[in-house]
Amino acid sequence: MSRLDDNDLLERFRKLPAPLLPLLHAFHERDGLVSEEALEALSEGLHIPRAELYGTLTFYHHLSRIPGGQAAPRVCTGPICRYKGGPEILEALRKDGATPMPCAGRCDEPVPVLFGNEVRVGSSVPELLSRPSPLPVPNPGAVEECVFAEIREPDRASLVGYERTGGYEALRRCTAGLRPSELIDLVAESGLAGRGGAGFPTARKWSAVAEATGGPKTIVANADEGEPGCFKDRVLMDHDPHALIEGMCLAAHATGASRGFIYLRYEYPETLAILEKALDEARAAGHLGDRIHGSGFSFEIHLRRGAGAYICGEETSLLNSLEGKHPFPRNRPPFPVTHGYEGTPTAVNNVETLCSVAPIVRKGVEWYQSLGLAENAGTKLISLSGDIQRPGNYEVPLGLPLQTLLADWAGGPPEGRRIQAVTMAGLSGGFLAGADLDVDLDEPGIRSKGSFLGAGGIMVFDDSRDMVQVAHGAMEFFAEESCGKCFPCRIGTRRLAERLAQSHGPRDLATWQQEARELSVVMRATSACGLGQAAPLVVESLMKYFPEELEQSLVSGWSGGNDER
Amino acid sequence: MSDRQAGAGQATLVIDGAEVAFEPGESLFEVSARVGKRLPSLCYDERLEAFGACRLCVVEVEGIRNPVASCTTLAADGMVVTTSSAEVEAWRKTLVEMVASENREVEVDPLRGHASQELSRLVARYDAVPGRFAGEPSGKSREDDGNPFLLRDYDLCISCYRCVRVCAEQQGDHAIGIANRGFETRITTEFDGELRDSACVFCGQCVQTCPTGALADRKAMRGVDVPGEIEKTRTICPYCGVGCSVDLMTKGDKLVGVQPAMDGPANKGALCVKGQFAFDFVQHEDRLAHPMVRNDDGELVRASWDEALDRAAKGFRGVVERHGRHAVYGVASGRAPHEAAYLMQKWIRTGFGTNFIDNCSRA
Ligand SMILES: Cc1cc2nc3c(=O)[nH]c(=O)nc-3n(C[C@H](O)[C@H](O)[C@H](O)COP(=O)(O)O)c2cc1C
Ligand code: SF4
Ligand code: SF4
Ligand code: FES
Repeated sequence: MSRLDDNDLLERFRKLPAPLLPLLHAFHERDGLVSEEALEALSEGLHIPRAELYGTLTFYHHLSRIPGGQAAPRVCTGPICRYKGGPEILEALRKDGATPMPCAGRCDEPVPVLFGNEVRVGSSVPELLSRPSPLPVPNPGAVEECVFAEIREPDRASLVGYERTGGYEALRRCTAGLRPSELIDLVAESGLAGRGGAGFPTARKWSAVAEATGGPKTIVANADEGEPGCFKDRVLMDHDPHALIEGMCLAAHATGASRGFIYLRYEYPETLAILEKALDEARAAGHLGDRIHGSGFSFEIHLRRGAGAYICGEETSLLNSLEGKHPFPRNRPPFPVTHGYEGTPTAVNNVETLCSVAPIVRKGVEWYQSLGLAENAGTKLISLSGDIQRPGNYEVPLGLPLQTLLADWAGGPPEGRRIQAVTMAGLSGGFLAGADLDVDLDEPGIRSKGSFLGAGGIMVFDDSRDMVQVAHGAMEFFAEESCGKCFPCRIGTRRLAERLAQSHGPRDLATWQQEARELSVVMRATSACGLGQAAPLVVESLMKYFPEELEQSLVSGWSGGNDER
Repeated sequence: MSDRQAGAGQATLVIDGAEVAFEPGESLFEVSARVGKRLPSLCYDERLEAFGACRLCVVEVEGIRNPVASCTTLAADGMVVTTSSAEVEAWRKTLVEMVASENREVEVDPLRGHASQELSRLVARYDAVPGRFAGEPSGKSREDDGNPFLLRDYDLCISCYRCVRVCAEQQGDHAIGIANRGFETRITTEFDGELRDSACVFCGQCVQTCPTGALADRKAMRGVDVPGEIEKTRTICPYCGVGCSVDLMTKGDKLVGVQPAMDGPANKGALCVKGQFAFDFVQHEDRLAHPMVRNDDGELVRASWDEALDRAAKGFRGVVERHGRHAVYGVASGRAPHEAAYLMQKWIRTGFGTNFIDNCSRA
C-alpha cells in the first residue's frame, strides 16, 4: 500500500466519533513518531489548538516524539517484572532504544516486551517469544464459574464457536422481546456490581442512563486495565471477544444506547486485532449494526486504542481521552450517566462486568447468585501473580478464603519460601500481611482489613523480597501516573516516593511516620479521584505490617531513588 | 433538582449552622464567600470555570462520605455544610505546606503580578512551615525565553493551570498548554518553544492571575529596587475606547507598572499588550519637559509657557479669521490623560465652535 499522506489519514478518521486517538496512532505508525508536522496537521484538521494538542500528546507514555520511537522496545519493569528479569532485559535492549514501561498486564508470564505492535514475553532476551495469553486453568473441584465457564471451549473466540456454546442467545432474547426494563430488573436481582474497581451496582448505573434525557446514549467498555497486577480483562477479550460484544449490546439494549466504544489499553495490540475481527464477524452476522436480528434495535461499536496512561482507566479521564481532550479526570457531579461522552448519557463498564451479563440472562439470576459463598452473589476474577507456584487468572466464588486461593488453588509460595505479603486491587489496595491474610475474598471482608478487592489483582511477595523497595516501586508508579491535576495527589505521591527511597525526608522512624501519615490522610481525604485517594494505602499498610523493615531501611539508608521504571 | 427550580429564591442550605438562601447555579464556594467566609484557594479565579485542583476549598457536606471541593460543587436545597472543622483546617495547613515545598521561595515581590501574593498569604494564614515535606522542587524556569514582557519563572509554578485557563477562557488565545503529567507537569507553548513563536499576544493575563509570581511582569519588575511603598491609583486606560480599568502602580513619583482591575466593569482583569506594558513613554528621557517654539530659522527652542501659549493662540486665531471656525480640527492623543482629552474637546467645541474633534484612541 502506498504511503497515505496527511490528508488521506485525516479524511479517513475525521468524521468518525472520537477521532484523535486513531489519528495519533495512524501518524505514529506511519512515521515512527508523532512529528511536529503531524501535530500541525492534526491541530488544523481537528480544530484543536496546537499548544493544547502538544500538551496532550506529551501526556501519553507510548506516543514517541523521536524518530524510530514507535518501534523501539518497551520493557515492563512493573512490580512483578522488576523481580523476574525486567531490568536486565531493559539493559540488554538499551542499544535498540528500549525504554521501561509500567506493568503491561502479562504478570502471569513475565516479562512482556513491546516491539511496535507485537508483545513478546520471556524472562531473558533470548527467551522472548510472541505467544497468546494463557487460558485460565479450571478451578479445582470443578468449582463453578460464570465468565470463564465456556472460555475453554474450542473456537470460543470465533463467532461459530461462540454461537455453538450459547453465544448471542441472551441478545436474541432481547431482540425477540425481552424489554429493557426487564433486563435491568434481571441484572438488579442478580446483584451484579462493577468489576472495574468501584463496585457500583450495574443495574443502577444502567437505569440512570436509561432514564436520563438527551442522546445519543453511549456504552463504553473500559478495557484500559492499567492497574498493575491485573490481566483478567485481557484473557476475556483474547479468548472470548464476542462475550464483550454481546455484553455491550445488552447494555445498549437496557439503556437505549446506539453507540459504543471499547477503550483498549495500548499494551494489548494482539487483543486489538482479535477484537477487530470479532466486531467484523458480529456485524456480518447481524449481531451488531443496524436493526440487529431484524429488530428495531441498532447499535454500533467503535474500537479505540489508548496510548499509555493509567489514569485513562478512570472513567471521566477515559471520556476526556476519547473526546481528544487533555485526559484529566472531570469534576463530579455531573456523572457520566447523565453527562458522559460528549455530554451524552453514558454507561462506562468494565469488561468483566459486561461479560457477566449474558450468562446471567442465559442461566438465570438464581444460578448466578448461587455461585457466591455465604451472603455473596456471583464470582470475581482474580489475577494472581508474583511469588506463587501457579500464577494466572482464577474465577473465584465471592467469599472464598484468600488462603484457599493462595495455598490450595495456586500451590502456595515457591519451594522453601513463605508468603510475606500480598497486594490487593492491583496496587491500589496496598498490602495485606500476617494474620490479615486470613480473610475472605469479598468486598466487606477485605475492607474490614482496611483495603479493598477492587479489580481483583493480587500480587504475591515472598520472604525474599524487600517490602520497602516494593512499596517504593508502587509509589513511584502512582507518582508517574498521577495526572497532575490536583495538588494532594500530584505532590503527595512524589513526596511519599521520595521518602520511601530516602532521597529526601526525615531519617528517624517517628518523624518519618508522622509525615507519611499526614500526607496520607490529606491525600485520601482531598484527592479528586481514586488514584490519589488510594495511593497512600501502600505506605499506610507498609507502616502497619512492616515497621521493623521500615526502621531497618531508614537506619541503613537504602536508597532506591535512582531506580528507573 | 426540580425542587430547586420550583422553589428558586427560597432554596436554602445551612452553612456552619446558619441558614442561607442561594441562587440556582451558585457554588458552595460562592455562597460561602457571600456570607463572609472566604475559603482558601489557589486554583480559583472567579472569572474562570471552577477547576477543583488545589483542594484547599474542600468542605464537609452531611451525607457525603468524602469532603467535596466547594468551588465545583453546586449548592443544593437542604445541604448541611461545614466549611472549616478543625480537621479540615489541619488538612489545609498540610496542603499549604505541601505546595510550598515545591517552590524555591514563597515570598515574592508584589510587582510580579496582581495575584502573586496568594501563596505567601496562605502560608501566613495557616502559619505553615514551607520547609516541611522537603523534596525535589517542581517546575523549571524558562530563562531562555527572551520576550520583554513576561518572565516565565516556573521554578515557582505550582501547577494551578490558571494561566492556561485564562489564556483559553478569557483571551481565547490557547497559546499555552499543559505538558507531561504528575509532578512533571509543565506549562508549555506549542512544541515547548518561546512565547514569541507561539500564539501568545502578550496580553499579560496569565501574569496577573498567577498565584505565586511564577509568571511575572518583566516591565514592572524593573521597579523592584525603587525605594518606597507601592501605591495604586485606579484609572481608565486611555489607549482605546473599551475603557479598561487599570491600577497605576507608583513608588513615590515614579510609575513602576500597570495592573488590570479585576473588578473593572469593561475588562474584568483583562488588558491588551499596550494597556498592560506600554507605559515607558511616561517617564521617557526623550519626553518634552518644557514648552518649545520655533525661532525664525525654524528651529525648536525652549520657551516660557506664556510665550508658547501666546504663539499658539495667535496661530489658531489667524486660521479661524482666514478660513472660518470649521478649519480647526482637534485630535487628542491616546497617551494623554483623560482630563487632558476632556479639556481638548471642550476647547475645540466651545473655544472654536466646531465639532471637529477626535481622539487617536477611537481606532
Ligand atoms: C486511577 C483509576 C484507574 C482505573 N482504571 C480502570 C480500568 O483500567 N478498568 C476499569 O474497568 N475501571 C477502571 N477504573 C474504574 C473506573 O473509573 C470505573 O469505575 C469503572 O470502569 C466502572 O465500571 P464498572 O462499574 O463495571 O466497574 C479506574 C479508576 C481509577 C480511579
Ligand atoms: S487524584 Fe491524582 S490522578 Fe486523580 S485527579 Fe488528582 S492528580 Fe489526577
Ligand atoms: S505559571 Fe502560575 S498560573 Fe500558571 S500554572 Fe504555574 S502557578 Fe499557576
Ligand atoms: S506485566 Fe510486568 S509487572 Fe505486570
